[in-house]
Amino acid sequence: MNHRPPVQAVRLTASVIFLVASLATVAVGQRSVSRHFPAGKNVRLELKNLSGTITVETWDRDDIKVTAMMDTPTVHFNPRQTDTGLVIDIVGDNRGRGDVGDVNFKVQLPPRSSVDLETRRGQINVSNVQGDLVRAHVWTSGDIQLYGINAARVMASNSTGDIFFDGEFASGGTYEFKSGQGTITLQLPVNCGFRLVATAPAQKISMGKFWNPNMKTLGEGRRIIGDVGDGRASVTVTNYNGDIKFRLR
Amino acid sequence: MNCEKYQDLLSDLIDGSLTPRDCEEIEAHLSACGACADARADLHAIVQFCREHRGEYEKVPNERAMWLRISNLIEAELPARNANALPAGASWWFRLANRSWQLTFPQFASSIAATVVVAVLLTFAGMRVWSNASGTKTGGITVGSEVSTVQDRYRQQQQLVDYWNQRVEMNKTRWNPQMRETFEKNLSVIDAAVNDSMGRLTRNPHDEVSEDILNAALSDKIALLKEFSEL
Repeated sequence: MNHRPPVQAVRLTASVIFLVASLATVAVGQRSVSRHFPAGKNVRLELKNLSGTITVETWDRDDIKVTAMMDTPTVHFNPRQTDTGLVIDIVGDNRGRGDVGDVNFKVQLPPRSSVDLETRRGQINVSNVQGDLVRAHVWTSGDIQLYGINAARVMASNSTGDIFFDGEFASGGTYEFKSGQGTITLQLPVNCGFRLVATAPAQKISMGKFWNPNMKTLGEGRRIIGDVGDGRASVTVTNYNGDIKFRLR
Repeated sequence: MNCEKYQDLLSDLIDGSLTPRDCEEIEAHLSACGACADARADLHAIVQFCREHRGEYEKVPNERAMWLRISNLIEAELPARNANALPAGASWWFRLANRSWQLTFPQFASSIAATVVVAVLLTFAGMRVWSNASGTKTGGITVGSEVSTVQDRYRQQQQLVDYWNQRVEMNKTRWNPQMRETFEKNLSVIDAAVNDSMGRLTRNPHDEVSEDILNAALSDKIALLKEFSEL
């Protein structure tokens, strides 16, 4: 018979114990909080995070569910209900408390909601929101992904990271996308109409099927100005050091 | 003394106009009170910034006219002369000149608005006349003043950048290494955009795209520094 030497068996057992203990420590260190808030159909969510991912989804219920997964169990997390909706301010609630680690949010709310999201670092994902406003701002690094958006005002900006928008532009709406470094991709339906000012001083602007001969290029192709369709929405796209791409939905 | 009293004395402490005993008492309080110590650090940064940049601000274009406006305002606030003291047979011009002009708020607001409209119209008219006379206009920007305007604006923005940068540097030690690294990386991205557009503008002062990018990047940089100065 092939017996395992006792020293190896002890080492193996010690490794397993260490691994289990480490996982238990991580699980104990993290804290997950879940809260429900009653809301009307047209609510506004305002969320200011320090660091971590923010994911916002819609559901067919007239309330808001916020789930926060915190790296540090002592993070102050005090959502406030206002007349118009819900305010979560991790920055203000933890001012002067030093490093509070990542707080990852998942928010579920009614489709006709407005969302105003901001984080100093981390990714922002928003899907299927159809309220008046969708604003996503990452002060430093983090991708922004906006899927199935149909809002009158959309603003998405970061310093480093990609921005992806999939949705429709409302007539008379305003849409602004700005990145310092990363690719900005706008995925739009074929029949959408907007007035465009797209500026990419260092890289390329690719209009795809949305190019038409009435568009003007300025500064050796670093800026494109022109109307697509009825030109009733206003679209401004700026990328300091990255590509701008238009794609058919 | 409470914190409010100590904070009232911070300005004198920084100016060095307190007695050694008062200084000792305040320093003892500052070593124990974080809020007052932060207030002192903020005030010290502002005073130091002002001292370092003394004389760099542009002079008022017409000091005499400005002083006249101030003295007119002061005189307007003095107790109005009694209108009944006017002689019975005084002319309308004499009455007008000696009338006490006390305006209600709507009247005052309307007069200010009217003044602003007239000033704006005169400015536009003046600019049109001036640009037509020089005859060197390209792409909405006047050639003669263009380079200096961009550089002036850059210099003014740079002063703001310096101020907020100092505040960020004071707080940076409290950040975790990951946040510091992310901040530095993103600041360098914005700096690259600033430097690139400045370089292009130096080669071609008529480059409208670069001017827009320069303005946007400088605004972004100030906003980023401002946001992180509070972290």
